Amino acid sequence: MSFKSFALSATALLSCSLVSAQTLNVYTYDSFASEWGPGPKIKANFEAECGCELNFVTLDSSVGILSRVQLEGDASEADVLLGLDLNVMEAAKKSGLLAKHSVDTSAVTTPGGWDDSYFVPFDQGYFAFIYDSEKLDNPPASLKDVVENQDLKVIYQDPRTSTPGLGLLLWMKSVYGDQAADAWAKLADHTVTVTKGWYDGYSLFLKGEADVVLSYTTSPAYHIVAEGEHKYKAAESSEGFYPQIEVAAMLESAPNKALAEQFMQFILEPGFQNVVATGNWMYPVMENVNPLPEAFTSQPQPTKVLTLDAEQVAQNRQAWVNEWLEATTR
Amino acid sequence: MISNAHLRPAWLGVSLYSVIALAALVALLSYASPSSWGSFFSDPYTWRVVRFSFMQASLSALLSILLAIPMASCLFHRRFWGRQTLLSLFAISMVVPTIVAILGIVVVYGRNGWFTALFGQPFPLYGLGGILIAHVFFNMPLAVRIILQAYDLIPDAQWRLASQLGFSRWRVFQLVEWHYLKKNLPGLFLLIFMLCFSGFAVVLSLGGGPRSSTLEVAIYQALRFEFDLNKASYLSLLQVVICSVVALAVYRFAPPVRQDVSLYQGGRLPLRSSKWTSGLDYGVLSVVLLWVLPPFVAILSPVFTELFWLSLLDSQLWRGLWHSVRIALPSGVLALLMGLSIAAIARAWRWHPRRNRWAVRLEQSGNLVLMVPSLVLATGLFLLFRHLGVSIKHAYWIVVWVNAVMALPFVLRAIMPVMYQQEKRFRQLYQQMNIVGWSRLRIEWRTIRPALAQGLAYAVLLSLGDLGVVALFGSKGLETLPMYLYQLIGSYRVEQGACVAVVLIGLCLVLFYGITRLLGGRRAVV
Repeated sequence: MSFKSFALSATALLSCSLVSAQTLNVYTYDSFASEWGPGPKIKANFEAECGCELNFVTLDSSVGILSRVQLEGDASEADVLLGLDLNVMEAAKKSGLLAKHSVDTSAVTTPGGWDDSYFVPFDQGYFAFIYDSEKLDNPPASLKDVVENQDLKVIYQDPRTSTPGLGLLLWMKSVYGDQAADAWAKLADHTVTVTKGWYDGYSLFLKGEADVVLSYTTSPAYHIVAEGEHKYKAAESSEGFYPQIEVAAMLESAPNKALAEQFMQFILEPGFQNVVATGNWMYPVMENVNPLPEAFTSQPQPTKVLTLDAEQVAQNRQAWVNEWLEATTR
Repeated sequence: MISNAHLRPAWLGVSLYSVIALAALVALLSYASPSSWGSFFSDPYTWRVVRFSFMQASLSALLSILLAIPMASCLFHRRFWGRQTLLSLFAISMVVPTIVAILGIVVVYGRNGWFTALFGQPFPLYGLGGILIAHVFFNMPLAVRIILQAYDLIPDAQWRLASQLGFSRWRVFQLVEWHYLKKNLPGLFLLIFMLCFSGFAVVLSLGGGPRSSTLEVAIYQALRFEFDLNKASYLSLLQVVICSVVALAVYRFAPPVRQDVSLYQGGRLPLRSSKWTSGLDYGVLSVVLLWVLPPFVAILSPVFTELFWLSLLDSQLWRGLWHSVRIALPSGVLALLMGLSIAAIARAWRWHPRRNRWAVRLEQSGNLVLMVPSLVLATGLFLLFRHLGVSIKHAYWIVVWVNAVMALPFVLRAIMPVMYQQEKRFRQLYQQMNIVGWSRLRIEWRTIRPALAQGLAYAVLLSLGDLGVVALFGSKGLETLPMYLYQLIGSYRVEQGACVAVVLIGLCLVLFYGITRLLGGRRAVV
C-alpha cells in the first residue's frame, strides 16, 4: 500500500468515526424504512433539524425489532426502537432494556389519551375485515356477522406469528368475553386458512381466495391513493373496533441518548406525523398535521373503540392463544 | 496406508461446519432449564402437531420420490424438445420464494384459478391437498435431478450388455437401474422429509387452519413473540430427536452402500421399448408437467406486464441483486469446500476396516443441520457471538457461513456418490503409487467436476433464496433480493413483488447455468 492510499484510508476511517459519533441508530421494520415507506422523509426531516445522521436498521417485522434487542442485550447499538405495538409493550418493558422518555404526550389523540413513561405512540389504526365491494353484495356489518355468516369465506392471520392475528384475538375477546371459544369454533367452520403473516393473507385475498381478510381500516386508502382502485372497503363493526397503536421507545443502553431523546420529541412533531398517513398507511396520533387525503377520512370511523388493559393482555395472552387453538382444532 | 497428515485441510473443513452447528445448539441449550420441560412435554397440541407433521412430511417425501423415479428414468432414456429447459426449471423450483410459489399455486388451483375454470369446481386446496401440491412442487424436481445423477454412475458396459441381450426398459430397471438408484433413496427421502417437516410458511398458508402446523411454528412463536429461549430449546431438541429417530429408522432399512467401479462415456444404446413403458413414460411426464409447469407459468407471467419492465429500472432491485450475489457466491464456495472435506474423510474411512462405520455417520452428520431450524441456528450464533463479544457489524461473514452450513446437506447429496465411486476406482493405484491429497483431486477432476458443479450450484441457489438467516441479522449491506421482495409484498405491492420474483428466478437460472457450464464442463447435466 502506498503512503498516499494509506493516508487516504486513514482520513476516511477518521471521518467515519467522526460521523458515527453523531449517528442515531433506529431499529425499525422493513416496510417502514423502505423507499416508499415513511422512513426516507422522516430521515430527511430529522436530519435537517439535528445536524446528525439518522440510520435505520431494518428488521423483518415489529416483533423482530424486540427480539433483536433482546438478543443483543446491553451491547445493542440501537438508540431508538420504532415500530413496536400495543401488545408487545408489556414484554418490552419487562425486558428491562428500555429507558423512560420525557416527551409531553398530553396532545396525543389515541383513544382514551396516552400516558406511558416508556413509550411514545407514532401512528394508529384499527383492525378490520376488508372486502371487495364488487364481489360481495352483502358485506358484514359487525364482527358477529363475520363470525356467524357460514357462507362468508374468511382469511385471518395466526395470533402466534403475526400482529394482526393477535389483534383479532383481542378483538374477539373484548367482544365475546367468555364466549370467545364458541365464536372461534363457529369462525373456524368457514375459515379458508390462517396465514403466517399479514402479507400472505392479504395477497391470498387479492387473488380472490376469500370474501374477507383481516387487515386495517386504512387498507382501502392504499388502494385508492396508490392505485386509484375504489372497490376494496373495510367492513363496519357495530360492536366497535380494536385499535392498533404503533409505538417507539428509547433504550437504556442507547449510545447516543441526547439524540435519542430529541428523536422521541420529534415523533410527535409535524415533520414525522405528516408523513405517516400516506407513508405507512396509518392515522397520525396528533392533530397538528396537514389535512388527511379524502381516502382516509371516507373510511369507517369507529364509533366505539374496544381496548383491553395492557397488563391483562400480557397475563392472559398465552391462555387466550390456547383457547383459540383448542376451539379451532376441535 | 492413508497418511493422516494429508487429511488435515479436510479436518479443518469439517470443524468449520461442526463448530457452527454445535456451538449454535449449545448456546441456545445453555438457556434451557430441563426441569420445566415436563409441562411442555405433556402438551397434547404439540403431539398432534408432531403427528400431523410426520404424516405430511412422509407423504410429501414418498410422493416426490415415487414421481421422481419414473420421471428420471424417462428423462434419462428419452430425448425430446424442451428437455433441457425442463431440467433447468427443475433445478430452481426449490428456491422459488415460498410466498411466490404459494401465489402461483393459488393462481392455478385457487377459487378463481385455472383448475376451477377448467373443471367448473374448485380444487380442495386448503388442507393436506394444498400442502402436498406445494411440497411436491418444491421437492420432486430436486429428487429428479439427484436420481438422474445416480443414473450417470451406471457403467457403460451395463447398458451395452442390456442392449445386446435385448432387455426391455422394465427388465433394465429391475436388474440394473434399481440397483444404483436404491442407494440414493434413503438419503433423498430424509432430505425431503426434513425440509417438509420443518418449513412452515406453506403449511400455515395452505393448511386451512391451526390443525395443520409444524413444530417450527411453535419455535418461531417462542423465539420471536415470547423470547422464551428455554421453550425454544426444548422444541428444537424435540425436532432434532424426532428427525434423528426417523433418520436412524430409514438407514436401518437402507441397503448398505456398495459402490461400483465404472468408466462411463455417456454413450447410450437403444433399449427395447414396449407399449407399456412408452405409456408409462408419457403418463408420468404428463403428471409431472401438469404438476410443475402451471404454477411456474403463473409465477413467470409478470414478464408480460409493463410493470415488470418498469420495475427493472428500480435501483433498489439491482442493489438487492448485488447483495444477494455477494452473499450467495462465497457461501456456495464455502459449502462446497466443507462438503469436499467431509467427502475426503468419509471415503478414506469407507474402506478402512475399523473406521468404516464412522464414514456413514460423518456423512449423516452433514444432514443434522437440516434438523435444526435455521432461526434457531441463527439465534444460537447470535447469542454465541454476544458472549464472545464479537460485534454483529460483521454480520456479512456470519450470514455467509450460516448459509454455507445450511446448504451442506444438498452439496453432500450431489457429490458423495461420485466421490465414493472414484475412491473405489483409484484406491489401489493411489496406495501403490502413494498418491495423496490434492493430486487425487487432479486425477479425478474430469469425472467429478459435473457433480461438484451441481453441488456448488445448489448451495449458491439455496443461499440466494435464504431469508431466515439474513432477516435475523438484518443490517446495512445485507438487503437481499428476497428481503426486498417480502418488503414489497409486506406493503401492499404484491404485483411488484411478483416481478422481483421473476428477476430472482432469472438470476437463479443464469447462475445455475453459468456454474454448471464453467465448473462442470460440457458434460454436465444442465
